[in-house]
Amino acid sequence: MTFLEKSNWVVLVVGVPTLLVYVALVVPQVLGKPIAEVSWVQPMIFAIAGFIVANVLGNVVAAASNPGEADRNDQRDREIDHFGERVGNWLMIAGSIAALVLAMTMADHFWIANAIFLGGMAAALVSSVTKIAAYHGPFQTW
Amino acid sequence: MVKPTRVTNSIRSLRFANGEMTQADLADRVGVTRQTIIAIEQGRYSPSLEMAFQIARVFRVPLDEAFQYSDELR
Repeated sequence: MTFLEKSNWVVLVVGVPTLLVYVALVVPQVLGKPIAEVSWVQPMIFAIAGFIVANVLGNVVAAASNPGEADRNDQRDREIDHFGERVGNWLMIAGSIAALVLAMTMADHFWIANAIFLGGMAAALVSSVTKIAAYHGPFQTW
Repeated sequence: MVKPTRVTNSIRSLRFANGEMTQADLADRVGVTRQTIIAIEQGRYSPSLEMAFQIARVFRVPLDEAFQYSDELR
């Protein structure tokens, strides 16, 4: 497994639990009280910070497990990376457009922030799944 | 991105004809990862023209001896 593939597994291993914990903390509140009273800022900050820190640590561990491969990537790695990023970008754009529409319709900050947050998380996770699938299946850029 | 390819290759037989060169050795000589050599050998990835020339050069054979363009989709 190349370092870049390991790095994408790190995103999945870290990202899925992060998203689940955030959802578990926020969704019950959304269902049980008015949106204005939902405590979402702190969970979102912890989720974003935790995701970034855990990703960095995961990459350090992945690099330490095989130092010779950590700085090695080739044309196929770069093509797979670009392809996965392009797929993820569409979700990021979808989240941003949703946030724009919510802002234009004067929606609560909660919905605007969560549209951006979920768009970003979905982009990271789907991008990683796409790259891992490309590593294991047929992959041509033309 | 799953697309059929007509490109086939003889890398596996060339490796064995060259002192049973390992995939890791070939990867080192071409400057790619071993996973990329595996993907090329299995027909899961078609290399660029430049990488194809580099692979053929390692075996000291013409390009069309290392890579072929089949009449049928694989």
